[in-house]
Amino acid sequence: LRLIYTTTAVQRKNVGASGPEKYTEAFIKKQIEEFNLGKRHLANMMGEDPETFTQEDIDRAIAYLFPSGLFDGHARPMMKHPREIFPEQRKIQWGEDGRPFHFLFYTGKQSYYSLMHETYEKLLNVEKHQDQLIAQDLPLQKEKRNLAGSRWLTKIELEEMLLEKLSDDDYSRFIQLLQKLTDLPCSDIEEKYIQKFSKELPVQMQKVVIEPLQYDEQGVAFSTGEGRRKTARATAVVYDNGTGKMTVNGKDILHYFPVLQDREQLLFPFQFLGRIGKHDAVCTVSGGGRSAQAGAIRLACAKALRSFVTEKEVEFMRQAGLLTVDPRVKERKKPGQEGARRKFTWKKR
Amino acid sequence: RLMQVRWSRYNPSYLEPEVNKEFYQKPLEELTEEEREQMELKAVRPIKAAPPSLSSSVFSDPMISKFTNMMMRDGNKVLARSLMTQTLEAIKRKQLEKYHKAPETEKETIECNPYVIFHQALKNCQPIIGLSNITKGGKTYQVPVPLKDNRKRFLAMKWLITECRENKHRRTLMPEKLSQELLLAFKNEGPVIKRKHALHKMAEANRAYAHFRW
Repeated sequence: LRLIYTTTAVQRKNVGASGPEKYTEAFIKKQIEEFNLGKRHLANMMGEDPETFTQEDIDRAIAYLFPSGLFDGHARPMMKHPREIFPEQRKIQWGEDGRPFHFLFYTGKQSYYSLMHETYEKLLNVEKHQDQLIAQDLPLQKEKRNLAGSRWLTKIELEEMLLEKLSDDDYSRFIQLLQKLTDLPCSDIEEKYIQKFSKELPVQMQKVVIEPLQYDEQGVAFSTGEGRRKTARATAVVYDNGTGKMTVNGKDILHYFPVLQDREQLLFPFQFLGRIGKHDAVCTVSGGGRSAQAGAIRLACAKALRSFVTEKEVEFMRQAGLLTVDPRVKERKKPGQEGARRKFTWKKR
Repeated sequence: RLMQVRWSRYNPSYLEPEVNKEFYQKPLEELTEEEREQMELKAVRPIKAAPPSLSSSVFSDPMISKFTNMMMRDGNKVLARSLMTQTLEAIKRKQLEKYHKAPETEKETIECNPYVIFHQALKNCQPIIGLSNITKGGKTYQVPVPLKDNRKRFLAMKWLITECRENKHRRTLMPEKLSQELLLAFKNEGPVIKRKHALHKMAEANRAYAHFRW
Protein backbone atom coordinates (compact mmCIF):
# COMPACT_ATOMS: atom_id res chain seq x y z
CA LEU A 1 0.00 0.00 0.00
CA ARG A 2 1.60 3.21 -1.07
CA LEU A 3 -0.40 5.82 0.81
CA ILE A 4 0.78 9.43 1.15
CA TYR A 5 -0.16 11.02 4.46
CA THR A 6 -0.28 14.74 5.10
CA THR A 7 -1.03 16.45 8.43
CA THR A 8 -4.16 18.56 8.89
CA ALA A 9 -2.06 21.70 9.39
CA VAL A 10 -0.59 21.34 5.92
CA GLN A 11 -4.04 20.52 4.60
CA ARG A 12 -5.40 23.81 5.96
CA LYS A 13 -2.87 25.82 4.04
CA ASN A 14 -3.25 23.90 0.82
CA VAL A 15 -6.98 24.19 0.56
CA GLY A 16 -8.02 25.99 -2.55
CA ALA A 17 -6.45 26.66 -5.88
CA SER A 18 -2.84 26.53 -4.82
CA GLY A 19 -1.50 25.28 -8.09
CA PRO A 20 -2.41 22.53 -10.52
CA GLU A 21 -4.21 19.46 -9.30
CA LYS A 22 -1.82 17.22 -7.42
CA TYR A 23 -3.96 14.13 -7.21
CA THR A 24 -6.04 13.03 -10.15
CA GLU A 25 -9.55 11.64 -9.77
CA ALA A 26 -8.43 8.18 -10.81
CA PHE A 27 -5.69 8.24 -8.18
CA ILE A 28 -8.10 9.13 -5.40
CA LYS A 29 -10.55 6.44 -6.54
CA LYS A 30 -7.78 3.88 -6.39
CA GLN A 31 -6.87 5.09 -2.88
CA ILE A 32 -10.48 4.66 -1.76
CA GLU A 33 -10.58 1.10 -3.12
CA GLU A 34 -7.31 0.26 -1.40
CA PHE A 35 -8.60 1.78 1.83
CA ASN A 36 -11.74 -0.35 1.78
CA LEU A 37 -9.74 -3.49 1.02
CA GLY A 38 -7.32 -2.69 3.79
CA LYS A 39 -10.22 -2.14 6.17
CA ARG A 40 -11.53 -5.64 5.49
CA HIS A 41 -8.06 -7.17 5.93
CA LEU A 42 -7.66 -5.33 9.23
CA ALA A 43 -11.06 -6.54 10.45
CA ASN A 44 -10.05 -10.09 9.55
CA MET A 45 -6.77 -9.71 11.42
CA MET A 46 -8.49 -8.44 14.53
CA GLY A 47 -11.05 -11.22 14.34
CA GLU A 48 -14.02 -8.88 13.90
CA ASP A 49 -16.82 -8.68 11.38
CA PRO A 50 -15.60 -6.79 8.26
CA GLU A 51 -19.07 -5.43 7.47
CA THR A 52 -19.52 -3.55 10.77
CA PHE A 53 -15.98 -2.22 11.18
CA THR A 54 -16.23 1.48 12.04
CA GLN A 55 -13.56 4.22 11.97
CA GLU A 56 -13.18 4.05 15.76
CA ASP A 57 -12.44 0.34 15.50
CA ILE A 58 -9.83 1.08 12.83
CA ASP A 59 -8.17 3.67 15.09
CA ARG A 60 -8.07 1.26 17.99
CA ALA A 61 -6.67 -1.54 15.85
CA ILE A 62 -3.90 0.65 14.42
CA ALA A 63 -3.00 1.95 17.88
CA TYR A 64 -2.72 -1.67 19.05
CA LEU A 65 -0.72 -2.98 16.11
CA PHE A 66 1.62 0.02 15.78
CA PRO A 67 2.18 1.44 19.27
CA SER A 68 3.99 4.76 19.08
CA GLY A 69 5.41 6.95 21.83
CA LEU A 70 5.44 10.12 19.70
CA PHE A 71 3.90 13.17 21.32
CA ASP A 72 2.37 14.71 18.24
CA GLY A 73 -0.89 12.88 17.51
CA HIS A 74 -0.60 13.72 13.83
CA ALA A 75 2.80 12.03 13.52
CA ARG A 76 1.56 8.66 14.71
CA PRO A 77 0.53 6.02 12.19
CA MET A 78 -3.08 6.48 11.13
CA MET A 79 -5.50 5.00 8.65
CA LYS A 80 -8.32 7.25 7.56
CA HIS A 81 -10.61 7.54 4.58
CA PRO A 82 -8.72 9.19 1.68
CA ARG A 83 -11.24 12.05 1.50
CA GLU A 84 -10.10 13.16 4.95
CA ILE A 85 -6.42 12.91 4.10
CA PHE A 86 -6.25 14.35 0.59
CA PRO A 87 -7.79 17.82 0.64
CA GLU A 88 -10.52 18.61 -1.84
CA GLN A 89 -9.07 20.41 -4.77
CA ARG A 90 -10.44 22.15 -7.75
CA LYS A 91 -10.35 20.38 -11.04
CA ILE A 92 -8.67 21.99 -14.03
CA GLN A 93 -10.74 25.05 -14.88
CA TRP A 94 -10.26 25.07 -18.63
CA GLY A 95 -10.91 22.70 -21.50
CA GLU A 96 -8.52 21.26 -24.07
CA ASP A 97 -8.59 24.36 -26.25
CA GLY A 98 -7.50 26.53 -23.27
CA ARG A 99 -10.90 28.22 -22.91
CA PRO A 100 -12.07 28.43 -19.27
CA PHE A 101 -15.41 26.87 -18.31
CA HIS A 102 -16.64 29.55 -15.88
CA PHE A 103 -17.49 32.99 -17.26
CA LEU A 104 -15.84 34.73 -14.29
CA PHE A 105 -12.60 32.79 -14.50
CA TYR A 106 -10.47 35.80 -15.36
CA THR A 107 -11.56 37.74 -12.22
CA GLY A 108 -9.32 35.42 -10.23
CA LYS A 109 -11.93 34.63 -7.57
CA GLN A 110 -14.60 33.02 -9.71
CA SER A 111 -16.52 31.16 -6.99
CA TYR A 112 -16.56 34.17 -4.68
CA TYR A 113 -17.92 36.54 -7.31
CA SER A 114 -20.45 34.02 -8.61
CA LEU A 115 -21.62 33.56 -5.00
CA MET A 116 -22.02 37.31 -4.56
CA HIS A 117 -24.00 37.50 -7.81
CA GLU A 118 -26.27 34.65 -6.67
CA THR A 119 -26.91 36.24 -3.28
CA TYR A 120 -27.69 39.58 -4.87
CA GLU A 121 -30.11 37.86 -7.24
CA LYS A 122 -31.93 36.39 -4.24
CA LEU A 123 -32.04 39.87 -2.68
CA LEU A 124 -33.64 41.33 -5.79
CA ASN A 125 -36.10 38.41 -5.83
CA VAL A 126 -37.17 39.14 -2.28
CA GLU A 127 -37.59 42.83 -3.04
CA LYS A 128 -39.71 42.02 -6.09
CA HIS A 129 -41.87 39.74 -3.97
CA GLN A 130 -42.21 42.51 -1.39
CA ASP A 131 -43.29 44.97 -4.08
CA GLN A 132 -45.90 42.49 -5.34
CA LEU A 133 -47.31 42.09 -1.85
CA ILE A 134 -47.44 45.84 -1.37
CA ALA A 135 -49.16 46.27 -4.73
CA GLN A 136 -51.81 43.75 -3.69
CA ASP A 137 -52.11 45.46 -0.27
CA LEU A 138 -51.34 42.23 1.54
CA PRO A 139 -49.51 42.43 4.90
CA LEU A 140 -45.78 41.70 4.85
CA GLN A 141 -44.71 38.63 6.81
CA LYS A 142 -42.97 39.64 10.00
CA GLU A 143 -41.72 36.34 11.37
CA LYS A 144 -38.26 37.10 12.66
CA ARG A 145 -35.55 34.51 12.46
CA ASN A 146 -34.10 33.61 15.79
CA LEU A 147 -30.71 35.31 15.57
CA ALA A 148 -29.60 34.10 18.95
CA GLY A 149 -29.37 30.42 18.05
CA SER A 150 -27.26 30.54 14.91
CA ARG A 151 -24.08 32.04 13.60
CA TRP A 152 -22.66 32.66 10.15
CA LEU A 153 -19.94 30.44 8.67
CA THR A 154 -16.42 31.49 9.61
CA LYS A 155 -13.95 32.62 6.97
CA ILE A 156 -12.13 29.27 7.02
CA GLU A 157 -15.36 27.34 6.58
CA LEU A 158 -16.37 29.55 3.69
CA GLU A 159 -12.97 29.07 2.08
CA GLU A 160 -13.40 25.32 2.36
CA MET A 161 -16.83 25.55 0.79
CA LEU A 162 -15.65 27.63 -2.16
CA LEU A 163 -12.21 25.97 -2.49
CA GLU A 164 -10.76 29.41 -2.97
CA LYS A 165 -8.74 31.84 -0.85
CA LEU A 166 -10.67 34.85 0.48
CA SER A 167 -9.47 38.08 2.01
CA ASP A 168 -10.94 39.51 5.23
CA ASP A 169 -12.57 42.32 3.29
CA ASP A 170 -14.26 39.89 0.86
CA TYR A 171 -15.56 37.82 3.75
CA SER A 172 -17.00 40.80 5.60
CA ARG A 173 -18.69 42.07 2.45
CA PHE A 174 -20.33 38.70 1.92
CA ILE A 175 -21.56 38.56 5.51
CA GLN A 176 -22.94 42.11 5.22
CA LEU A 177 -24.86 41.09 2.12
CA LEU A 178 -26.27 38.02 3.89
CA GLN A 179 -27.26 40.20 6.83
CA LYS A 180 -29.04 42.60 4.50
CA LEU A 181 -30.92 39.68 2.97
CA THR A 182 -32.06 38.36 6.34
CA ASP A 183 -33.13 41.79 7.55
CA LEU A 184 -35.73 42.16 4.80
CA PRO A 185 -39.23 41.23 6.01
CA CYS A 186 -40.03 38.68 3.28
CA SER A 187 -36.78 36.78 3.48
CA ASP A 188 -38.59 33.55 4.37
CA ILE A 189 -38.67 32.67 0.66
CA GLU A 190 -34.92 32.31 0.54
CA GLU A 191 -34.70 30.53 3.87
CA LYS A 192 -33.12 27.41 2.36
CA TYR A 193 -30.41 29.42 0.67
CA ILE A 194 -29.59 31.29 3.87
CA GLN A 195 -29.45 28.08 5.88
CA LYS A 196 -26.56 26.90 3.73
CA PHE A 197 -24.45 29.66 5.26
CA SER A 198 -25.51 29.56 8.88
CA LYS A 199 -24.68 27.13 11.63
CA GLU A 200 -26.56 26.25 14.76
CA LEU A 201 -24.97 27.38 18.00
CA PRO A 202 -25.12 24.78 20.76
CA VAL A 203 -27.43 25.99 23.53
CA GLN A 204 -25.24 27.33 26.33
CA MET A 205 -24.64 26.25 29.85
CA GLN A 206 -26.91 23.22 29.98
CA LYS A 207 -24.02 20.91 30.76
CA VAL A 208 -23.16 22.25 34.22
CA VAL A 209 -24.36 19.86 36.92
CA ILE A 210 -25.40 21.61 40.15
CA GLU A 211 -24.39 19.47 43.10
CA PRO A 212 -27.01 18.69 45.76
CA LEU A 213 -26.64 20.08 49.29
CA GLN A 214 -24.62 18.12 51.80
CA TYR A 215 -25.47 17.91 55.50
CA ASP A 216 -22.91 17.88 58.33
CA GLU A 217 -23.24 16.45 61.90
CA GLN A 218 -25.62 19.05 63.34
CA GLY A 219 -27.88 18.81 60.29
CA VAL A 220 -26.77 22.18 58.87
CA ALA A 221 -26.79 22.23 55.08
CA PHE A 222 -23.54 23.24 53.40
CA SER A 223 -21.97 23.26 49.96
CA THR A 224 -18.45 23.72 48.57
CA GLY A 225 -17.14 25.67 45.64
CA GLU A 226 -13.77 26.31 44.02
CA GLY A 227 -12.60 29.46 42.32
CA ARG A 228 -9.52 30.89 40.67
CA ARG A 229 -8.32 34.24 39.42
CA LYS A 230 -4.85 34.91 37.98
CA THR A 231 -2.64 32.67 40.17
CA ALA A 232 -4.91 32.53 43.22
CA ARG A 233 -6.79 29.32 44.07
CA ALA A 234 -9.62 29.34 46.59
CA THR A 235 -12.12 26.92 48.09
CA ALA A 236 -15.22 28.06 49.96
CA VAL A 237 -17.65 26.13 52.19
CA VAL A 238 -20.95 27.97 52.57
CA TYR A 239 -23.16 26.95 55.53
CA ASP A 240 -26.87 27.57 55.88
CA ASN A 241 -28.58 29.15 58.94
CA GLY A 242 -25.65 31.45 59.55
CA THR A 243 -25.16 35.00 60.73
CA GLY A 244 -23.15 36.30 57.77
CA LYS A 245 -19.69 35.69 59.26
CA MET A 246 -16.90 34.93 56.80
CA THR A 247 -13.51 33.44 57.64
CA VAL A 248 -10.52 33.30 55.31
CA ASN A 249 -7.53 31.08 56.17
CA GLY A 250 -8.61 31.19 59.80
CA LYS A 251 -8.86 34.99 60.00
CA ASP A 252 -11.91 37.21 59.84
CA ILE A 253 -12.41 39.06 56.54
CA LEU A 254 -12.01 42.41 58.28
CA HIS A 255 -8.43 41.42 59.22
CA TYR A 256 -7.54 39.60 56.03
CA PHE A 257 -8.89 42.18 53.56
CA PRO A 258 -8.35 45.70 54.93
CA VAL A 259 -9.41 47.22 51.59
CA LEU A 260 -13.11 47.99 51.11
CA GLN A 261 -13.10 46.95 47.44
CA ASP A 262 -12.10 43.34 48.26
CA ARG A 263 -14.77 42.99 50.92
CA GLU A 264 -17.33 44.36 48.47
CA GLN A 265 -16.30 41.66 46.02
CA LEU A 266 -16.67 38.93 48.66
CA LEU A 267 -20.18 40.06 49.50
CA PHE A 268 -21.21 40.58 45.87
CA PRO A 269 -22.77 37.10 45.29
CA PHE A 270 -24.66 37.24 48.59
CA GLN A 271 -25.89 40.77 47.99
CA PHE A 272 -27.00 39.91 44.46
CA LEU A 273 -29.16 37.05 45.72
CA GLY A 274 -30.33 39.03 48.76
CA ARG A 275 -28.95 36.50 51.26
CA ILE A 276 -26.47 38.61 53.22
CA GLY A 277 -27.19 37.60 56.81
CA LYS A 278 -28.28 34.06 56.06
CA HIS A 279 -25.05 32.22 55.24
CA ASP A 280 -21.72 31.56 56.94
CA ALA A 281 -18.60 30.97 54.90
CA VAL A 282 -15.26 29.37 55.65
CA CYS A 283 -12.69 29.87 52.90
CA THR A 284 -9.09 28.92 52.17
CA VAL A 285 -7.05 30.74 49.59
CA SER A 286 -3.46 30.67 48.38
CA GLY A 287 -1.42 32.33 45.66
CA GLY A 288 -1.98 35.54 43.75
CA GLY A 289 -2.23 39.04 45.19
CA ARG A 290 -4.82 40.95 47.20
CA SER A 291 -7.34 41.52 44.45
CA ALA A 292 -6.81 38.11 42.82
CA GLN A 293 -7.55 36.29 46.08
CA ALA A 294 -10.73 38.33 46.53
CA GLY A 295 -11.85 37.47 42.98
CA ALA A 296 -11.08 33.78 43.52
CA ILE A 297 -13.12 33.64 46.73
CA ARG A 298 -15.97 35.47 45.01
CA LEU A 299 -16.10 32.82 42.28
CA ALA A 300 -15.88 30.01 44.86
CA CYS A 301 -18.77 31.45 46.91
CA ALA A 302 -20.91 31.99 43.81
CA LYS A 303 -20.35 28.36 42.76
CA ALA A 304 -21.20 27.13 46.25
CA LEU A 305 -24.38 29.22 46.35
CA ARG A 306 -25.69 27.54 43.19
CA SER A 307 -26.84 24.56 45.28
CA PHE A 308 -28.94 26.79 47.57
CA VAL A 309 -30.78 28.64 44.87
CA THR A 310 -33.35 28.04 42.05
CA GLU A 311 -32.26 27.46 38.44
CA LYS A 312 -33.58 30.83 37.32
CA GLU A 313 -31.41 32.60 39.88
CA VAL A 314 -28.41 30.56 38.73
CA GLU A 315 -29.09 31.88 35.23
CA PHE A 316 -29.29 35.44 36.62
CA MET A 317 -25.97 34.94 38.39
CA ARG A 318 -24.40 33.75 35.16
CA GLN A 319 -25.72 36.79 33.30
CA ALA A 320 -24.31 39.06 36.01
CA GLY A 321 -20.87 37.58 35.34
CA LEU A 322 -20.50 35.87 38.72
CA LEU A 323 -19.97 32.34 37.46
CA THR A 324 -17.38 32.83 34.71
CA VAL A 325 -13.71 32.28 35.37
CA ASP A 326 -11.83 35.48 34.52
CA PRO A 327 -9.34 34.45 31.81
CA ARG A 328 -7.18 37.57 32.09
CA VAL A 329 -3.67 36.69 33.25
CA LYS A 330 -0.39 38.56 33.20
CA GLU A 331 0.84 38.89 29.62
CA ARG A 332 4.30 37.51 28.98
CA LYS A 333 7.28 39.72 28.31
CA LYS A 334 8.50 39.50 24.73
CA PRO A 335 12.14 39.51 23.57
CA GLY A 336 13.22 42.81 22.03
CA GLN A 337 10.78 44.74 24.24
CA GLU A 338 11.11 45.94 27.79
CA GLY A 339 7.78 44.57 28.99
CA ALA A 340 4.69 42.95 27.52
CA ARG A 341 3.80 46.05 25.53
CA ARG A 342 6.37 48.73 26.39
CA LYS A 343 9.16 48.94 23.83
CA PHE A 344 12.72 50.11 24.47
CA THR A 345 13.41 53.82 24.19
CA TRP A 346 13.74 54.68 20.52
CA LYS A 347 17.03 56.36 19.74
CA LYS A 348 17.51 57.99 16.43
CA ARG A 349 21.20 57.06 16.23
CA ARG B 1 -17.38 45.17 12.30
CA LEU B 2 -16.62 41.51 11.96
CA MET B 3 -12.83 41.47 12.18
CA GLN B 4 -11.17 42.30 15.49
CA VAL B 5 -8.68 45.13 15.67
CA ARG B 6 -7.44 44.68 19.24
CA TRP B 7 -7.42 41.37 20.99
CA SER B 8 -8.68 40.40 24.40
CA ARG B 9 -8.50 37.21 26.39
CA TYR B 10 -12.21 36.69 25.83
CA ASN B 11 -13.69 35.18 22.68
CA PRO B 12 -15.47 37.94 20.66
CA SER B 13 -18.80 36.16 21.22
CA TYR B 14 -18.73 36.90 24.98
CA LEU B 15 -21.23 39.59 26.12
CA GLU B 16 -20.92 42.23 28.86
CA PRO B 17 -22.40 41.30 32.29
CA GLU B 18 -25.45 43.13 33.68
CA VAL B 19 -25.08 43.65 37.42
CA ASN B 20 -28.20 45.66 38.28
CA LYS B 21 -30.50 43.57 40.51
CA GLU B 22 -33.74 45.33 39.51
CA PHE B 23 -33.18 44.44 35.87
CA TYR B 24 -33.68 40.75 36.69
CA GLN B 25 -36.72 41.30 38.87
CA LYS B 26 -38.72 43.07 36.15
CA PRO B 27 -41.66 40.97 34.91
CA LEU B 28 -41.61 39.90 31.26
CA GLU B 29 -44.38 42.21 30.05
CA GLU B 30 -42.55 45.44 30.77
CA LEU B 31 -39.66 44.73 28.41
CA THR B 32 -39.48 46.35 24.98
CA GLU B 33 -38.74 44.45 21.75
CA GLU B 34 -35.02 45.20 21.88
CA GLU B 35 -34.74 44.08 25.47
CA ARG B 36 -36.46 40.83 24.64
CA GLU B 37 -34.00 40.18 21.84
CA GLN B 38 -31.13 41.03 24.17
CA MET B 39 -32.43 38.55 26.73
CA GLU B 40 -32.69 35.80 24.15
CA LEU B 41 -29.17 36.51 22.96
CA LYS B 42 -27.87 36.43 26.52
CA ALA B 43 -29.47 33.06 27.14
CA VAL B 44 -27.39 31.49 24.35
CA ARG B 45 -24.08 33.34 24.45
CA PRO B 46 -21.39 33.09 27.16
CA ILE B 47 -20.88 36.14 29.40
CA LYS B 48 -17.64 37.80 30.59
CA ALA B 49 -16.72 37.77 34.29
CA ALA B 50 -17.64 40.92 36.23
CA PRO B 51 -14.53 43.08 36.85
CA PRO B 52 -13.43 43.75 40.46
CA SER B 53 -14.55 47.38 40.35
CA LEU B 54 -18.13 46.43 39.49
CA SER B 55 -20.57 45.33 42.18
CA SER B 56 -24.33 45.15 42.61
CA SER B 57 -24.30 47.04 45.92
CA VAL B 58 -26.00 50.42 46.25
CA PHE B 59 -22.70 52.14 46.90
CA SER B 60 -20.95 51.32 43.66
CA ASP B 61 -21.42 53.92 40.93
CA PRO B 62 -19.86 53.45 37.47
CA MET B 63 -19.17 57.18 37.09
CA ILE B 64 -17.40 57.36 40.44
CA SER B 65 -15.29 54.28 39.62
CA LYS B 66 -14.30 55.84 36.28
CA PHE B 67 -13.29 59.05 38.05
CA THR B 68 -11.32 57.09 40.66
CA ASN B 69 -9.45 55.22 37.94
CA MET B 70 -8.54 58.47 36.25
CA MET B 71 -7.26 59.93 39.51
CA MET B 72 -5.18 56.81 40.17
CA ARG B 73 -1.38 57.05 39.82
CA ASP B 74 0.98 54.08 39.31
CA GLY B 75 -1.84 51.66 39.94
CA ASN B 76 -2.44 52.79 43.52
CA LYS B 77 -6.18 52.14 43.62
CA VAL B 78 -6.29 52.12 47.44
CA LEU B 79 -5.04 55.70 47.62
CA ALA B 80 -7.31 56.91 44.80
CA ARG B 81 -10.36 55.32 46.41
CA SER B 82 -9.59 56.85 49.82
CA LEU B 83 -9.11 60.29 48.21
CA MET B 84 -12.48 59.92 46.50
CA THR B 85 -14.28 59.00 49.73
CA GLN B 86 -12.59 61.89 51.53
CA THR B 87 -13.71 64.26 48.75
CA LEU B 88 -17.33 63.13 49.04
CA GLU B 89 -17.10 63.48 52.81
CA ALA B 90 -15.70 67.02 52.47
CA ILE B 91 -18.53 67.98 50.11
CA LYS B 92 -21.08 66.64 52.56
CA ARG B 93 -19.52 68.57 55.46
CA LYS B 94 -19.46 71.86 53.56
CA GLN B 95 -23.03 71.46 52.42
CA LEU B 96 -24.19 70.60 55.96
CA GLU B 97 -22.45 73.73 57.32
CA LYS B 98 -24.27 75.84 54.78
CA TYR B 99 -27.53 74.04 55.57
CA HIS B 100 -27.33 74.73 59.29
CA LYS B 101 -26.40 78.38 58.76
CA ALA B 102 -29.08 79.11 56.18
CA PRO B 103 -32.49 80.61 57.09
CA GLU B 104 -35.61 78.43 56.97
CA THR B 105 -36.72 79.48 53.48
CA GLU B 106 -33.45 78.47 51.79
CA LYS B 107 -33.00 75.17 53.59
CA GLU B 108 -34.82 73.20 50.91
CA THR B 109 -32.78 74.53 48.00
CA ILE B 110 -29.42 73.38 49.45
CA GLU B 111 -28.41 69.97 48.03
CA CYS B 112 -26.71 67.74 50.58
CA ASN B 113 -26.27 64.46 48.70
CA PRO B 114 -22.63 64.36 47.45
CA TYR B 115 -23.46 61.89 44.67
CA VAL B 116 -26.08 64.22 43.22
CA ILE B 117 -23.62 67.13 43.41
CA PHE B 118 -20.92 65.05 41.69
CA HIS B 119 -23.18 63.98 38.82
CA GLN B 120 -24.60 67.47 38.32
CA ALA B 121 -21.14 69.05 38.39
CA LEU B 122 -19.88 66.59 35.78
CA LYS B 123 -22.89 67.30 33.60
CA ASN B 124 -22.31 71.02 33.84
CA CYS B 125 -18.66 70.61 32.82
CA GLN B 126 -19.31 68.53 29.71
CA PRO B 127 -18.63 70.41 26.47
CA ILE B 128 -21.15 70.00 23.67
CA ILE B 129 -18.87 70.59 20.72
CA GLY B 130 -15.15 70.01 20.33
CA LEU B 131 -12.38 70.90 17.94
CA SER B 132 -10.45 68.44 15.84
CA ASN B 133 -7.37 68.94 13.67
CA ILE B 134 -8.15 68.30 10.02
CA THR B 135 -5.42 68.62 7.40
CA LYS B 136 -6.60 69.92 4.06
CA GLY B 137 -4.38 71.18 1.28
CA GLY B 138 -1.27 71.07 3.43
CA LYS B 139 -2.63 73.26 6.22
CA THR B 140 -4.12 71.98 9.51
CA TYR B 141 -7.38 73.62 10.57
CA GLN B 142 -9.24 73.43 13.88
CA VAL B 143 -12.67 72.22 12.82
CA PRO B 144 -15.69 72.23 15.18
CA VAL B 145 -17.01 68.69 15.52
CA PRO B 146 -19.81 67.16 17.64
CA LEU B 147 -18.51 64.97 20.46
CA LYS B 148 -19.68 61.55 21.53
CA ASP B 149 -21.07 60.94 25.05
CA ASN B 150 -18.02 59.01 26.21
CA ARG B 151 -15.68 61.71 24.97
CA LYS B 152 -17.69 64.46 26.73
CA ARG B 153 -17.57 62.61 30.04
CA PHE B 154 -13.89 61.91 29.65
CA LEU B 155 -13.07 65.56 28.92
CA ALA B 156 -15.11 66.81 31.89
CA MET B 157 -13.32 64.43 34.29
CA LYS B 158 -9.92 65.16 32.79
CA TRP B 159 -10.36 68.92 33.11
CA LEU B 160 -11.44 68.62 36.74
CA ILE B 161 -8.42 66.50 37.65
CA THR B 162 -5.82 68.59 35.78
CA GLU B 163 -7.33 71.76 37.24
CA CYS B 164 -6.93 70.37 40.75
CA ARG B 165 -3.46 69.02 40.19
CA GLU B 166 -1.88 72.05 38.58
CA ASN B 167 -3.57 75.33 39.32
CA LYS B 168 -3.82 75.12 43.10
CA HIS B 169 -1.57 75.89 46.01
CA ARG B 170 0.94 73.07 46.59
CA ARG B 171 0.16 72.49 50.27
CA THR B 172 -3.61 71.92 49.98
CA LEU B 173 -4.70 68.27 49.85
CA MET B 174 -6.54 66.76 46.89
CA PRO B 175 -9.91 66.12 48.62
CA GLU B 176 -10.16 69.78 49.61
CA LYS B 177 -9.24 71.02 46.15
CA LEU B 178 -11.60 68.60 44.43
CA SER B 179 -14.53 69.38 46.72
CA GLN B 180 -14.07 73.11 46.07
CA GLU B 181 -13.98 72.53 42.31
CA LEU B 182 -17.01 70.26 42.35
CA LEU B 183 -19.10 72.72 44.36
CA LEU B 184 -18.15 75.56 42.02
CA ALA B 185 -18.97 73.43 38.97
CA PHE B 186 -22.30 72.50 40.54
CA LYS B 187 -23.20 76.19 40.61
CA ASN B 188 -21.86 76.74 37.05
CA GLU B 189 -18.94 78.87 38.25
CA GLY B 190 -15.25 78.14 38.53
CA PRO B 191 -12.26 77.61 36.20
CA VAL B 192 -13.50 74.35 34.67
CA ILE B 193 -16.73 75.93 33.46
CA LYS B 194 -14.65 78.83 32.09
CA ARG B 195 -12.55 76.36 30.14
CA LYS B 196 -15.67 74.76 28.71
CA HIS B 197 -16.99 78.18 27.62
CA ALA B 198 -13.61 79.02 26.08
CA LEU B 199 -13.80 75.84 24.01
CA HIS B 200 -17.32 76.69 22.89
CA LYS B 201 -16.17 80.19 21.87
CA MET B 202 -13.28 78.77 19.85
CA ALA B 203 -15.68 76.41 18.10
CA GLU B 204 -18.02 79.33 17.35
CA ALA B 205 -15.08 81.38 16.03
CA ASN B 206 -13.98 78.58 13.69
CA ARG B 207 -17.50 78.08 12.44
CA ALA B 208 -16.39 78.90 8.92
CA TYR B 209 -14.42 75.64 8.69
CA ALA B 210 -17.32 73.45 9.78
CA HIS B 211 -17.88 72.22 6.22
CA PHE B 212 -14.42 70.61 6.23
CA ARG B 213 -15.78 67.75 8.29
CA TRP B 214 -15.38 65.09 5.58
